[in-house]
Amino acid sequence: MDKLITAILDGDSAMAVSQARQLNASGLSPEKIIIEGVEAAMSALDTKCTLEDFNLLEIMLAGRAVMEVTKLFWPSGAVKDSAKGTVVIAALEGDVHDLGKNILKMVLTGKGYNVVDCGKDCPLQKLADTAAAGRPLAVGLSGLITTVIPVVRQVKGALAARGLDNVKVFAGGAALKQSTPGMLNVDFVAESAFDVLRFLSGLGNGLG
Amino acid sequence: MNSLELVSATVKLQKTRRVPVIPQVFGHAAVLSGVSVEDYTSNGEMLAQCQLNALKHYGHDAVFSVMDANVEAEAAGCVLEFHKERYSEIIKYALSPGGQFLSPLVVPHPEKAGRMPEMLKALTILRKELGMNTMIFGCVLGPFSVATQLLGLEAALYMAVDDPARLEALTDFATDTIIRFGLAQLKAGAHAMLVFDPSSSPAVIPPNFFREFIFPRLKKTCNSFDQAGSMANWLHIAGPAAPILPFYPAAGVHIANFDYYISAAQAIKGLPATCVNGNIKPLAFVEDCPDAIRKESMDLMTAFLGRRGFILSSGCEVPLESRPENIMAMVGAAREFSNA
Repeated sequence: MDKLITAILDGDSAMAVSQARQLNASGLSPEKIIIEGVEAAMSALDTKCTLEDFNLLEIMLAGRAVMEVTKLFWPSGAVKDSAKGTVVIAALEGDVHDLGKNILKMVLTGKGYNVVDCGKDCPLQKLADTAAAGRPLAVGLSGLITTVIPVVRQVKGALAARGLDNVKVFAGGAALKQSTPGMLNVDFVAESAFDVLRFLSGLGNGLG
Repeated sequence: MNSLELVSATVKLQKTRRVPVIPQVFGHAAVLSGVSVEDYTSNGEMLAQCQLNALKHYGHDAVFSVMDANVEAEAAGCVLEFHKERYSEIIKYALSPGGQFLSPLVVPHPEKAGRMPEMLKALTILRKELGMNTMIFGCVLGPFSVATQLLGLEAALYMAVDDPARLEALTDFATDTIIRFGLAQLKAGAHAMLVFDPSSSPAVIPPNFFREFIFPRLKKTCNSFDQAGSMANWLHIAGPAAPILPFYPAAGVHIANFDYYISAAQAIKGLPATCVNGNIKPLAFVEDCPDAIRKESMDLMTAFLGRRGFILSSGCEVPLESRPENIMAMVGAAREFSNA
């Protein structure tokens, strides 16, 4: 398992897939490989992130390796029947920058969450409808530009209108993380994708 | 001592009667004048007029000919979509990571390509109106930022690992593009150049990548501007840039922007003999009140008291929807503060 973890941390997708395939061939289940290999690698990255010694490039490379391993076992790219729950993410209408959201998707997938990605420039109604259909643990909003903030403030209301008062909403990205939960009308503002993991782990699985 | 002389003296770390104040008023100038962002970023005459209006309104110490982050990318072949209330975005990249590139790329001609001629027009108007009284900044994107705009940030970052030679070639093309564009801006009327380089932030790439890959191209760019008479080269890299600050002086940077991630003490330590500017959180100009901005401005100027070489500024561009009274509060604080 150590070789898989190292390959992911090195951002070596080919080696990560090769190691995962070997582990599977030796009798380990995909679930065990994800929990003990991929999630362990993501935890190591999380530690690095906390030390402020990280950057998008390293996370993207590790994330790409994680997604390749995930696809090996679940070609759709999503962990099947995730016990950790579903997270719906989007960059809202007016914001076409989606790198932050894509990284969040990789990190959450690597930690075993089922991620439903509503894409960029996503209308509020589409986000709320997707959440209503998916029974998510939380809804995540990524924003690089400040002009999207008025829409961010409407998300909880749109969810409540669909009976999703209990779904937590978090925000992140260069513009949104300058603000506060109160100003954005969300439950949490994350400094990084790993901050989101800590927030979500504090929620439990929320599935009853 | 007029504004231009004040900023020039500060860049040289000379003692000045007050701290210069340069809120990074770019597209906010359009909002202040009631003009659409699309018009402001497409029409040099309108850009110049809005900058002059903002200067008259706020009384700060510099103006900018800055449209958006896509001027070079558009000139080199990217397709943009414009909006009335926000900046343009790239809807089609000039290049694809898997496809052949560079052979079809030609360094854009600043007097012909995309909106480059309009930026030059804005500079000519600003220089005619302001002469040698207020510093006029032209603007180019940094070499790596242009490369990421041509290809998409995600694809460019993967290419840095998967095919570094191709990314090097692309970034060399980007360097040639911004040097040619910057020299044209200096000729058109810019006193100084702003190099806006968001993709080079340590939040995006590791510091050793900056040192090996970006620094030589940045140095080449700044040296070219120096030789063409730029009074100052302002490097703007947002985010947690502390690890790369020590590279700035050797790259030819005279004004180093520091974002709210970096404390005044870190900036002073990282750049002991370089003018720095910063670092009020941009969103504070939207969400906070004038008293809070005034206090933060005073605290910052106090932190640099006696050090010289400090320009009071925002950590990045002030948002389009900034409250004018907050910008007024920052400018007022600088005029009130004793720099003795």
